[in-house]
Amino acid sequence: MKSFASVALVVLLFLSMSCASRIRKDEAGKIKVGIVFDIGGKDDKSFNAAAWEGVKRAARDLPIILRDAEPGEPNNLEPCMRAFAERDYDLIIGIGFAQGPILEQVARDYPKTKFAIVDSVVDLPNVASLVFKEHEGSFLVGMIAARTSKTGKVGFVGGMDIPLIRKFAKGYEEGAKYVNPNVEVKQNFVGITDSAWNNPGKGKELAKAQFEAGADVIFQAAGNSGLGVFDAAEEMKHFAIGVDSNQNWVKPGFILTSMVKRVDVSVYLIIKELVEGKFTGGIHSYGLENGGISYALDKYNEPLIPKPILAEVDAARDKIIKHDIKVTDAMAK
Amino acid sequence: MTDSLVFSLLASTLRLSTPLILAALGGMYSEKSGVINMALEGIMLAGAFTAAAVTHFTGNPWIGLVAGIAAGIAVAGLHAFCCIACKADQVVVGTAINILMLGVPPLLSGAFFESTGSTPSLQQSQTLPNLPIIVALLAVPITYFVLFKTSFGLRIRAVGETPEAADTAGVSVSRIRYASVLISGGLAALGGVYLSIGQNSLYTRNMTAGRGYIALAALIFGNWMPTRVLVACLLFGFMDAVQIRLQGVGKIPTQFIQIVPYIFTMIVLAGFIGRSTPPRALGVAYEKGKR
Repeated sequence: MKSFASVALVVLLFLSMSCASRIRKDEAGKIKVGIVFDIGGKDDKSFNAAAWEGVKRAARDLPIILRDAEPGEPNNLEPCMRAFAERDYDLIIGIGFAQGPILEQVARDYPKTKFAIVDSVVDLPNVASLVFKEHEGSFLVGMIAARTSKTGKVGFVGGMDIPLIRKFAKGYEEGAKYVNPNVEVKQNFVGITDSAWNNPGKGKELAKAQFEAGADVIFQAAGNSGLGVFDAAEEMKHFAIGVDSNQNWVKPGFILTSMVKRVDVSVYLIIKELVEGKFTGGIHSYGLENGGISYALDKYNEPLIPKPILAEVDAARDKIIKHDIKVTDAMAK
Repeated sequence: MTDSLVFSLLASTLRLSTPLILAALGGMYSEKSGVINMALEGIMLAGAFTAAAVTHFTGNPWIGLVAGIAAGIAVAGLHAFCCIACKADQVVVGTAINILMLGVPPLLSGAFFESTGSTPSLQQSQTLPNLPIIVALLAVPITYFVLFKTSFGLRIRAVGETPEAADTAGVSVSRIRYASVLISGGLAALGGVYLSIGQNSLYTRNMTAGRGYIALAALIFGNWMPTRVLVACLLFGFMDAVQIRLQGVGKIPTQFIQIVPYIFTMIVLAGFIGRSTPPRALGVAYEKGKR
């Protein structure tokens, strides 16, 4: 009885732990693309969701075989990536800064395989680094936040306290101060480990604390934890700003806009380049100038932002593109 | 500090403490009867996921609440079966259940929502009112009464201290332990239910973020006494609420501020509560006739 129970538990354990990649015998001839998601997983309605959207579109439009893996925790990132490499995948895409060092190792071991990494730079000829000028988009939503705020106080809730998220925060702050030099920008982070991306309860508490301290617009860059920020905005009848994907639909009427980072476009294009035989390594930069970064405007938030503010924001966007406004990149050395 | 800030701090403390109080009290029933409940984390996850999923399908958070508690009791039943009937090592079983419950919700959410570990967001009208907070606070005196003033409570403590004596007196050790572990599951699951459909409006993967373990620590620090456990949980919730409000004040790094609740709770509890004495038969499977 005792040993039966132990065996059954061990079997269940392995079933529940096995990393989510579904790798079967693949059809011959087609280009094989594997994507390894970040800890948040592909249904974070945000960063990973955007990547998933892009690769799914590529799988519809292009002759590729697509497989995905969700590591769930950091220690599974490398096995998932190597599983693709060992099976001769043509392109392996890593989502998120955390995969940078791991992808670099794997890419060295498999120099003939092509790799792409989002949000990190890996200096190898077979790796395309897809990076975004998040600070520029954050600047624009910061302007919208400060113009919309009635209290002169706006908030920022970041996920994990890392330089990349500081980059969002800095751009946001500069944008808010650009339209209102006296604006107060409150900044909080959910946590300092990767669980910070998956803690909506904490996200909600941080947002509530900021709202209670007088902020009335909060920009979140916190993965799943950001959904708690939206809950707080709905509960306290204030505004939140979405991130990465267009999140305006999540809580209509309470999401002022979203800082859209077109991860979907970047991964789609890199797959397309590979299919067309034009894959190049090195840095692929996405910003306001090529639509890789923008703010979301759709039927959900059009009534929320007055036209003059939009005109002002669009004018600032043009100035940033022409380098008339310089937004600090908190990650630049 | 103005009145409204004090109020918001206290409200935040209550919200943050509630899942801990419920899980810790749940753990108390189990451990007083002699069964270590490492599985609190997994039970909370099961309750949280089930409640969010059922509420999504039925649109009624009360049905979600009942379903979530039922799921927690079911998981606790698995724990009880392995620990009591199979006499497996209680810590190992509990840990295995926790890891299992990291995997089961993504599996089910893949089937139901084509997602990997989270449920769709609920509307605010579909979330629970603050009832679990009140339940958590009421559960403290009730637990005290049940454990120390009723014959059922006496039996729980008896099988946790000297199961041989209880057995000799005609008390079924395994029946009392089953009951205690199942009650434990119901309470801990309510903590999880509050997380997913009370405090928040969805389930996300591993959303308890270690609260089950913190509850277990509070139980030990609180020396298996309901009031002390309440104080431990409130203290932790309070420090967490303070920590949230401290962030961004001055130039102190986030990393430092975020460890404050853990350090402070440990110092206070270690300093004021002192040596804790667990139930004597805790963690030992009962075998009839063994000396």
